Amino acid sequence: MSAVAEAPTPPQPASPIAGFVDRNFRWLLVWPSILVLLLIGLFPVIYSLFVSFQKINRRVSDTSFQGFYNYERLVTDERFWDSVINTGIMTGIALPLELVLGLLLARLFLESFPGRQILIALIVTPSVIAPFVAGAMWRLMFENIFGPINEIIRWIVGGTFDLLWLINDNPLIVYSAILTTEVWQWTPFMFLILLAAWSNVDKSQLEAAEIDGASGWRVFRRIIFPAIRPVVFVALTIRGLDLVRLFDIVYALTRGGPGNMTETISIYAYIKGFERFDISMTAAFAFVVIVSLSILVMVVLRRVGVTQ
Amino acid sequence: MDRRQLIKSASAFAVAGAMLTLPGLAHAQSAADAAVEAAKKYSGETLNITWEAGLQALDPLNFSGPKWEELTGVKINVVEIPISELFTKTVAEHRAGTGAYDLLNVVPAWMPDLVTAGVLEPLDSYVDQFGYRDELQDIAPTYRDNQMTYGGKIYGLPDDGDVLILYYRTDLFGDDAHQSAFKDKYGYDLAPPADWDQFYDISQYFSEAMGPDGYGSALIHSPGLVHYLYLQRFRTDGGKLFDGDMNAQVNGEIGVGVLEDMVRQLDNMPKGAASWGPIEVLNAWLAGELAMQIWWPPPGRWSAGYGADVEALSWLPKSTIAGKVGYALPPGGYPELAAGFALSVAANSEKKELAYLFAQWLNSKDISIQRVTLPYALRDPFRTSHFESEEYKALWPAAGDYLQTLQEGAETGLLDMSIIDTFAYEESLTRAIVSALAGGNAKEALDQAAGEWNDLTEEIGVDDQRAAYEDWSSKPGAYPN
Repeated sequence: MSAVAEAPTPPQPASPIAGFVDRNFRWLLVWPSILVLLLIGLFPVIYSLFVSFQKINRRVSDTSFQGFYNYERLVTDERFWDSVINTGIMTGIALPLELVLGLLLARLFLESFPGRQILIALIVTPSVIAPFVAGAMWRLMFENIFGPINEIIRWIVGGTFDLLWLINDNPLIVYSAILTTEVWQWTPFMFLILLAAWSNVDKSQLEAAEIDGASGWRVFRRIIFPAIRPVVFVALTIRGLDLVRLFDIVYALTRGGPGNMTETISIYAYIKGFERFDISMTAAFAFVVIVSLSILVMVVLRRVGVTQ
Repeated sequence: MDRRQLIKSASAFAVAGAMLTLPGLAHAQSAADAAVEAAKKYSGETLNITWEAGLQALDPLNFSGPKWEELTGVKINVVEIPISELFTKTVAEHRAGTGAYDLLNVVPAWMPDLVTAGVLEPLDSYVDQFGYRDELQDIAPTYRDNQMTYGGKIYGLPDDGDVLILYYRTDLFGDDAHQSAFKDKYGYDLAPPADWDQFYDISQYFSEAMGPDGYGSALIHSPGLVHYLYLQRFRTDGGKLFDGDMNAQVNGEIGVGVLEDMVRQLDNMPKGAASWGPIEVLNAWLAGELAMQIWWPPPGRWSAGYGADVEALSWLPKSTIAGKVGYALPPGGYPELAAGFALSVAANSEKKELAYLFAQWLNSKDISIQRVTLPYALRDPFRTSHFESEEYKALWPAAGDYLQTLQEGAETGLLDMSIIDTFAYEESLTRAIVSALAGGNAKEALDQAAGEWNDLTEEIGVDDQRAAYEDWSSKPGAYPN
C-alpha cells in the first residue's frame, strides 16, 4: 500500500450542456441581474436616443427619422446654453465650498468630546429634508420684510435693510441665496463621508509625522489627503452629479428667475418636457446631458485612479 | 259623424296632442332635472373628475358630489390636482391612453392645445340631446362666446366667472379730508382710477397718507399670473399681439410702455411686491394695509366677512375691512378674465355621456347658483341669473354693487390669450416681465421675449398659428371693442 494516496480524478460531466454549465456557472448566476440592470439602466437611454431622432410634441407624433433636427435646435438654443452656464456656475461654486466646509467640519469632529454624537446628528439634519421643502423654507428665510435673514442683518447693521434676495437684477445676490441654501443642505453629506474616511486614516503614520515635527498642513497634504483621496473624489462625483441635476432648491426659490438668470439644465428640461411637451427635443436634451456626464465621470475617475 | 267615429277622432286628437305636448314637457323640465333623469340609468357607476386642488375642490367633495350621488346613485371621485399641474396631468393621461379621467376642469385658454391634441370631446350633440341650449344663453356673453368653443364646436361649459376687478377702500376714498387733500395735490377728484396714471397718483397719495404700515396698492406679480396684468394693460392701450405676418408685437412701443409703467407702479407698493402672489396681496388687503388692489372675485366676499365662520376658510386672516370695500373695473375698463374654468369631457373616457350629464347638472341654472354662493368654494358668478339673483344680493350689504361690477366685467372682460402652445408664449413673456420687475431693462427683456415668440411661431408653423390666432382674435373679448 502506497503511503501517498492517488489524487481523485474530477467527475466527468454527463453531457456537453452540463459541461458548459459547470464551466460558466458563476456567469450564469450573475447574468439575470446584469440583464435586469441593463434593461433598467440602458433602456431609457436607448429609448431617449430613438425619440430624439423623431418629432414628437404636443401637436405632432411623427415617429419617422428626422435626422439631427432636435440636436440642431438644442445647440442653437441660447436658453439651453444659458442653463448650462448657470448650472456650471452653481456647481463650480457650491462643490468646492461644500468640500472645504465638509473637511473643516470633519476635522472638528475627529476627536471625541461630550455631545459629539448629538451634534453630528443635528448637523446632518438638513440633508434629510426634501430639497423642495428646504427651498421653500429658505424662501421664507429670505423674505424681505418678515424673513429672519434681513432681520438679522438689520439687527447687526442697524437701520432699514430691505434687500430683495430672490427678485433682483444683481446675480450676485440671487446666486448667494441659492448657494447658501444648497451649501446648507448638502455640506453635511460631504461632512459625514469625509469624517468616516478621515477616521480611518492610519494613526501610526500620523503619530510618526507628529514625532518628526511635521506641520498640520504638511500632515494633511502628505498623509491624510492621499489616504482619503478616493473617498473625496467619490463624494465630489456624487455631489457634482447632484449639482448638475439641481432642480428642487432653485425651483422653490426662484423658479429659474428673474428672467432665466438662475435657470438650471434640469429646470429648462422640465419646462421643455413637461410644460411644453416637446418630447423629442427633451429626449435629445437628456441624451446629450447623459453622454456628457458619463464621459466626464469616466475621465475624472480615471484621472484620480479610483477605477484602478 | 257617429259616436264611434267621434270617439276615434277624439282619441286621435288626444294622442296627437299628447305627442305634441310631450317634447314640450321634456323641454319644460330644467336642465338639472333632465341631467338627473338621464343619469339614473348609470346608478352604481363612478365618475372620475379632475378639479383644482384646495378650496376649489370642496365644491364637488362637500356639496355637488354627494348631492349628485344622492340624486342619481352615481359616485363622484374627485382627483385633486394643483392648478400648475392640471394641464400637464390632463395631457399626460391622455397621451398614455389611461382613460383615468372622465370629466375635466379646463382653463379655457388651454382649449386650442387640448383640442388639437385630441384630449377633449365635442359636446354639441350632447347639448342638443339633453336640451341644454336654452340654458346656455343665460351664461354671461363674455364667458359663453369666448370660453366655450374652438373651431365652431363646443368643447367646454363655462363654469367660473373669473375676472380681475379693482377693490378699493370706500372709507378712505370717501373721507372728506382725503378728498380735499388729494384734489389739492393732483387737481382732480379722488375716485377709483380711470387709467394707470391715476392709479399711480392715488397709490402714491395713500402710500404717503397711510404711513409706514399702509400702501396705496399691491398687485399680483408672481410668475404664472403676472402676464395677465401685462396683457390686460397691453391690449387696453391698443396693443396687438401679432401683426399680419404673425410677428410678435409685445416689444413695440405700447408693450415697452406698459412694462415700464408696471415697474414704475412698484414705487407705491410694499417692498418686495414685485414678486407678490395672490396670497401676499390678499393678506395685506384683508389686514387693511392697502388702499387698492386687483384680484379675482373671492375677496369681494371674504372682505365682507362672508364665510368667515366656515372652517375651510379658517386659514384666511380675519377681515379688518368689512363694510369698507368698493368694487370697480380696473383702470382702462377692460378687466382680464384671467383663467376661469370650463367643464369638458375627456375624449378617451368610457363614460362620456355620464360625464357630460354631470357637467350639465353642475353648470345648470338651478345648481350653479347654489355652487357660486357656497362660502368656501371659489366658483364665481358667471350667469346673468347669478348677477341678478336676489338671494346673492342679500348675502352682505354691498353684494349688489359687487355683482354689478362683476356683470360689467363680464361684458367688457378681455379673453386670455389662447393660441397653439399658449403656455410657451406665456412662459416666455413672464420671464421678460419678471426680469424687468427685478430691475432689468424692459425693452431688452421684451425684445428677447418677442424673439422667442417668433421662433415659437416658426416652429409651430406660421399658418397653423395664424389660424389659431384668427380664431381667438375674432372672438368678441380678445381685444377691447
